[in-house]
Amino acid sequence: MIFKIAFKNVWRNKVRSMIVIISVTLGLTGGIFAVSIITGMMEQKVRMDINNETSHIQIHHPQFLKNFESQYSIPDADSIAGMISKWSDVKAVCTRIRITGMAASPNSVAGVQIMGVDPLQEKKVSDLYATIPDTGGGYFTGTRKNQIVIGRKLADKLKVRLKSKIVIRFQNTDGNLAEAAFSVNGIFRTANTVFDETNVFIKKSDLNPLMEGENESQEIAVILKDIDKIPVAETLLKSRLPGLDIRNWIELRPEMGLITSAIAIEVYIILGIILFALAFGIVNTMMMIVFERTRELGMLMAVGMSKSRVFRMIMLETVFLTLIGGIIGMILGAALTGFFHRTGIDLSSLSKGLGAYGFDAKIYPFISRELYINLTVMIFCTGILSAIMPARKALKLKPVEAIRIE
Amino acid sequence: MTNDLIYNDLRLMTNINGMNIIEIRNLTKVYDAKTIPVYALNGVDLAFREGEFTCIVGPSGSGKTTMLNLVGGLDSPTGGEIVIDNTDITGLKSRMLIDFRLRNIGFVFQSFNLIPVLTAKENVEFIMQLQGVNKEQRDKRTLELLDSVGLSDKINVRPNKLSGGQQQRVAVARALASKPKFILADEPTANLDSKSAENLLEIMEILNREENITFIFSTHDPRVVAKARRVITLEDGKIVGDISKN
Repeated sequence: MIFKIAFKNVWRNKVRSMIVIISVTLGLTGGIFAVSIITGMMEQKVRMDINNETSHIQIHHPQFLKNFESQYSIPDADSIAGMISKWSDVKAVCTRIRITGMAASPNSVAGVQIMGVDPLQEKKVSDLYATIPDTGGGYFTGTRKNQIVIGRKLADKLKVRLKSKIVIRFQNTDGNLAEAAFSVNGIFRTANTVFDETNVFIKKSDLNPLMEGENESQEIAVILKDIDKIPVAETLLKSRLPGLDIRNWIELRPEMGLITSAIAIEVYIILGIILFALAFGIVNTMMMIVFERTRELGMLMAVGMSKSRVFRMIMLETVFLTLIGGIIGMILGAALTGFFHRTGIDLSSLSKGLGAYGFDAKIYPFISRELYINLTVMIFCTGILSAIMPARKALKLKPVEAIRIE
Repeated sequence: MTNDLIYNDLRLMTNINGMNIIEIRNLTKVYDAKTIPVYALNGVDLAFREGEFTCIVGPSGSGKTTMLNLVGGLDSPTGGEIVIDNTDITGLKSRMLIDFRLRNIGFVFQSFNLIPVLTAKENVEFIMQLQGVNKEQRDKRTLELLDSVGLSDKINVRPNKLSGGQQQRVAVARALASKPKFILADEPTANLDSKSAENLLEIMEILNREENITFIFSTHDPRVVAKARRVITLEDGKIVGDISKN
């Protein structure tokens, strides 16, 4: 009955209750949408980094990541990759030559990271091929030798186009300077302009002869079927390959791990501030309700309703008021997020700035199920916390005085 | 007649007619005790027996409402004892007093004080729910009570759709719902027109006569006084009259 009375009481003053409900609804809808944009941006950034750059896990020679020297290759990399690819949690594995060097055109020169890849293997691990627009050529199409795939930003810098020649220079594993001319086969365009400016892709089969080593690889990249399996896979790899440096994407890009963690906290801070502000409105309304119903509350206590029941009744009313607005807000927030998750939000006007930080100009808002569950708990807690002051006020009423108040 | 004489007289009557359900001994209530003391009740001795239909009368400020509040356990006295069914309620802690009220005392207020969001049936049933009575018994008793106050056709109607008289009858049914030892009614007819007041008094009189329910009223209303079988007159916090009719 307390439950029933509390619920019915919410609708006693419909206008006032609706104002509170609408304010909670709008606050949460806005909050959820803002948070979904932030998390969507981060989610895209992380996915892009994993798919285009880091993969889930990378394996290197223990000395390689210190100076990126090509002499520190992985012994028997193809056998290791073959072994890893058979694991059930692994989606795809590829081996790469990774060296630093120079890219030169008749117009300009740029320092680049040269990635020697097997296009077929690479396509299973990296989505880079998908970032080549229709007008940007292909991803090692045809059988011609010495093809190169570069980023749009680098192409602009070197002032080259499709089929233009670029000379690549680097120090091979013997320490000698190696160079060769490559024809631009594709020009990719990721959201990360820095990546586009500093990475070039060449077929391993074209690069190997220049390396003067024996089919060496400096990097093994692993993509798992489920990102949550990273810790398990990482532990397994470390136990199987004790002499190699095994790092997950967060270890490879610690700044991304930091930003992701910071954003995760910020999201809760944003929602917490919104709920805290809404709580004041709810407390105010509930205090008004207690003042208005003083006589009724006095009567309830007079006829034998215990203080704990009175407390519970006020508490329930507040929680109902908050939850109704909260749930509607969550549904609207989810609908808005879902809609823009499908269509995307085009921020092309900010693409230069976003691209410099590696963010896509089209944002797909996203909110995790975990955040929704936590938000429900937060709304529920807001309701309970907002109820404490009015409920305490109700408890302080003396029935003998309360029943006489007009 | 002094208070002691009244009390002795009532004790004698108790021995003859059965148990006192309320015994009040030297009851005192002083307001602003630290500054200028105002004696709302001043050493009152009184007893009520089961089945009484008593009204307490007196001018404004005589202590009628204070007396009802103290007997109902809504207020605490400055001195004295109120023994209800062998329990001195003046010594009970707040939580126990609330439970005591729930199980032993029925209240009818001047301004009805029904829960506006509940129907007549739910208002009556609510008290039994607080007592933990099961649904089947609740439903049965609620319908019986609303029938006994002539509102069996209004069970699903909310208070705002009932007249003042009907609301007060629901309040009487609610007061009876907990099977209290007695019902305290503070000026129950004050907000009613004469027809509704007559009707309400008639119902309460029938309940008293046929079901031996004890009613104690405070009132200014001569119609209530006329119906009462015992009239206690208070003045300046003291009993100045206690007349029992045959």
